Amino acid sequence: MRGADYIIKRGFFALVTIYVAITINFFLFRVLPGNAVTDLSRVPHASPALRHALLTEFGLDKPKWEQYLIYLKNLAHGNMGISFANQQPVSHLLLADLKNTIPMVTVGTVAAIVIGVFTGVLSAWRRGSAPDHLSTNTAIFFYAFPTQWLGLMLLILFAGILPAGGMSDPFLFTAEPFWQHLGDIAKHMFLPAATLMLTAFGSYTLVVRSSMLETLGEDYVLTARAKGLPTRRIVWRHAVRNALLPLVTLIALELGFIVGGALLVEVIFSWPGIGLAMYSAIGQRDYPMLQGGFLILTVSVIMLNFVADLLYFRLDPRIST
Amino acid sequence: MMGLPMSGLRKHRPAALLAAAAAVLAVAACGGGSASSGGSTIKQGGVFRMGTSSTIDSLNPFIAFQSDAYTTFEYIYPTLVQYTPSLKIVENFARSWTTSPDGRTWTFTTRPNAKWSDGKPLTAADAAWTFSTIMKFADGATANSAGYVAHMKSATAPDATTLVLTYSQPVANVLSQVQQVPIMPEHIWAQYATGNGKALKTFQNNAPIVSGGPFILTKYTPKQVALFKKNPAFYGPKPHIDGFGLQFFQTTDAEVTALKSGQLDGVEVPVPPTSVATLKAAHFQVRSSPGVAFDDFIINSNPQQQASHKELLNPLLRQAFDHAINRQAVVATSLLGHGQPGSTIIPPATGQWSDPAIKPVSFSLATAGQLLDQAGYKMGPNGLRIANGHPMSYTVIMPSDLASEYLNRTFQIIQPDFKKIGVQLNLKVLDPSAAYDAILANNYRNFEISMWDWFPLTDPDFMLSVLTCNSFNVWNDTGYCSKAYDNLYSEQSAAVNPAQRRQVVYQMQQMIASAQPYLVIDYPDSIEAQSSHWSPLPEVGGGSFNSMSTIPMVSVHRL
Repeated sequence: MRGADYIIKRGFFALVTIYVAITINFFLFRVLPGNAVTDLSRVPHASPALRHALLTEFGLDKPKWEQYLIYLKNLAHGNMGISFANQQPVSHLLLADLKNTIPMVTVGTVAAIVIGVFTGVLSAWRRGSAPDHLSTNTAIFFYAFPTQWLGLMLLILFAGILPAGGMSDPFLFTAEPFWQHLGDIAKHMFLPAATLMLTAFGSYTLVVRSSMLETLGEDYVLTARAKGLPTRRIVWRHAVRNALLPLVTLIALELGFIVGGALLVEVIFSWPGIGLAMYSAIGQRDYPMLQGGFLILTVSVIMLNFVADLLYFRLDPRIST
Repeated sequence: MMGLPMSGLRKHRPAALLAAAAAVLAVAACGGGSASSGGSTIKQGGVFRMGTSSTIDSLNPFIAFQSDAYTTFEYIYPTLVQYTPSLKIVENFARSWTTSPDGRTWTFTTRPNAKWSDGKPLTAADAAWTFSTIMKFADGATANSAGYVAHMKSATAPDATTLVLTYSQPVANVLSQVQQVPIMPEHIWAQYATGNGKALKTFQNNAPIVSGGPFILTKYTPKQVALFKKNPAFYGPKPHIDGFGLQFFQTTDAEVTALKSGQLDGVEVPVPPTSVATLKAAHFQVRSSPGVAFDDFIINSNPQQQASHKELLNPLLRQAFDHAINRQAVVATSLLGHGQPGSTIIPPATGQWSDPAIKPVSFSLATAGQLLDQAGYKMGPNGLRIANGHPMSYTVIMPSDLASEYLNRTFQIIQPDFKKIGVQLNLKVLDPSAAYDAILANNYRNFEISMWDWFPLTDPDFMLSVLTCNSFNVWNDTGYCSKAYDNLYSEQSAAVNPAQRRQVVYQMQQMIASAQPYLVIDYPDSIEAQSSHWSPLPEVGGGSFNSMSTIPMVSVHRL
C-alpha cells in the first residue's frame, strides 16, 4: 500500500523529530550562561540561603539527568510545569498567550499570503512589464527590511492615529460592548499585523513568480493557448494550480511559526502574545516557560510539515516515498 | 544595583526627593466635581493613565520581584510609614511610634476604625500577623521578604491600635525597613500560612484584591494593564482621582510615542534623555532632577583572582583608571547633560547619608600615565603597557539592557582615553543574567572589569551591604571583602543615633573611595514626563511611581 507506507514513514519521522526537539529544548536553555535564580534571589538583603532555597524549590539542585527524567515524565502526563517567575502553571500561561497571538499573526500571515500570491502571479503573467518590476522590487524592498526597524518606523509614523501598544484600550473600568471591543482590538492589531504582512509577503511574491514562470513555459500551457483558451483561464486554472506546489511547503512552515508568535513584532507593539512571553522568559531563565513555549512551537512546525507531506502526497501522485 | 542586577534594584528603588505636595498645586474645577483646599479648588475625578516599561510579575508579595509589583502593593496595602517628597519618613497606617531607650522595642500606634475594602476591620493585628508570618517562614516561603525583618524577634498587637516590634539588637533603620513591608489582610492570608507555609507562594492573589490602601486593584491583565479604583474605605486622605491605570510597554519608544499621541497621561521613569527635547516641544511637563542611581566601572577586587590580571588589585592602577575617565564628557554626551559626574557610592540625591567630602576624580590622562609608570607598567609594542609580563588588555562585561540604553556610549568615550594611556578595553555585552553570572564565576576569580549601574535605596544600609563579605554570590559584584568594612557595616546597622550613624556611613564611603572596587562614573538624572492637563506628580526617591509612597497618586488631580 503506497499510502499506508508513506504515512507510517512520515509519521514515524515526525515523532522522532518531536522527541529530539523535546530533548534539545531541555538542554538548550541550561547550557546558556546565566542562571534561573540569579534574578529571583536578588531582593534587598538576600542571602545565599535564599538562592539555595530557590534552587531546591525549582529542583535545580538535582543532577541534570535526573531533571531531564522528571521533565520527560511530566511531559508524558501533559504537565509542562510551573513558571519560575510567577509560580503559575505554564500550560495556562501559554494558552492565554496563544489566544492573543494567533489572531494577530494569522491576520498578518494570511494577508501576506494573499498579497504575495496575487503579486507573484501578476509579475509572472506580465513578466518584464512595469507592474512586474514594481511588484518584484517592492517585494524585495520590504523583504529586506529588518522587522524591528520597520515596526518602529510604522509606530512613529502612525503615532496619534493608531495605538502605540497593547491589544485593546486598557483604561476601561467597565467592559465595552462586544462589537466595540472587537473594533478596538482590530485598531490595535493593525500595525503589528501590517508589519508582519509587509516583511513576509515578499517571499511569497518571489516564490510564486519563479514557480509560475516555470509553469507558464510548460507544453500544456502552450497547448492551452493553441486551443484558444482565454489567458485568464490559462493563468488561474492551469498555471497557478500547478505552480502552487512549492507554496504548500512555504505556507505550512509559516503557519507553524504562527504559534511562535512574531517575537520582535510583539515586543515592539507590546502585544501580549507568546513571542513576548518567550522574550521575557529568556531574560529570566524561566526554564519551564521556555521549554513549554518551544515545545508548542516545534510540535506545530513538525505537525504542519507532516500535513504538508500528506498534502504533497495527495496533490502529486508521483510522490511515493 | 542595579546595577546589577538589576532589576532588583532598578526596580525596587526607593527613596528620595521631592516635590511638592500635590495639594499645593491645585487649582480649579471640573471633571467629577471639586473640593476645596487652602482657598483653591481641586478638580475631582478622572483616570490617570500611566505607562511603564516594567511589569507586574506576580500579585503575591512573597513571589513578586519586579518594581511595579511592589508599587502595586504600596497602593493597595497599608504600610506603617511612608516617605514624603523631601525623603522624610512620615505616618501612614501608623499614626505615631516610640522607641525604648535600648532601641530594641518599637511601639506603633495605628489608625483606629480602619477597614479593608471588604468591610472587615483593619487593625494592628493584621500588621503583627504580617511581620510574624515573614519571620516564621523566613527560610522558605517568605524568604524574599526576610531582609525586612532582620534582627526582629517578635511582632505583637496587644490591642487593635498597638503594634509592638521587638528586636534582638538595636537596629538603625527600622522605619525604612518596615516601610517596605505591605501589611496584608490576615483574614484572607492566614489560611495559607500553615504547615511549611508553601501555600503562601501558591496563592495567586488575583484581582480584584481585598485592599486597605488608597486604591483597590480591580483588574489585572498580564502584560497589558492593571486598573486601580479609589478605595472608599481608605483610612487616610482620599485620592482626587477616580482611579489610575498602568499600561505595560516593552519598549520606551512605544511608551513615549503613546504619551505624545495622548494615549497616556504620564510615563514612569526612565524617560530616555533623547526624548526630552521633543516632549518639551510638544508642551509636556518634563522634569529632570538629580537621580539616586549611579553608573559604575567595577574592577575585580578579589585578592584570589587569576594571576593573569592580578595587577587589577594595584591601588596605583585603580587611581590611574579613575583619572582616565572623562566624566564631564560622559555626562555631556552619553547623558546629554542630564546627570552629574559621580564620586561616592551613596549618591548625593539620597540625602544626608552621602559624604560631601568625596568629590569626582579629575580627568587627566597625564596623571593616569604617570601613575601607571610609577606602578612599573612600561609601554610595550602595539601601544599597550605590559603588566606582570602581559599586555594590559581587559574584557569589560556589560549587561545588554544598559548597553542598549546609554552605557555603550559611555564605554565608547572611555575606551579611546584608556588606549591613550596604553590600556586596551574590550567590550563584552551579555544579557543581565549571563553578565552577572560571569562576574560571580569561579567565586569572582575570572572577571576583570564590568560596567553596570545601581539604584541604591534612600537608607544607605542596602547599598553599603552590597560590599560586605556576606553578600558574596548574592549582591556583591566586585569580589571586595574586608573585615574592617564589615565591622563598620555592623556598627552603622546598630547605630540608632543618626549623627553617630552618619559618621560611620561616611567612613565606609571613604574606605570604598580609597579601595576603589567601584569607580563611580555618573549619577543620571531622574527624567519624567507627563501631560500638562494634570498636576505634577510629586517625585519621591527618584520617581513619582514607586513603592516608597502613596502621595503621588493620592495627590494628583486634573488641572
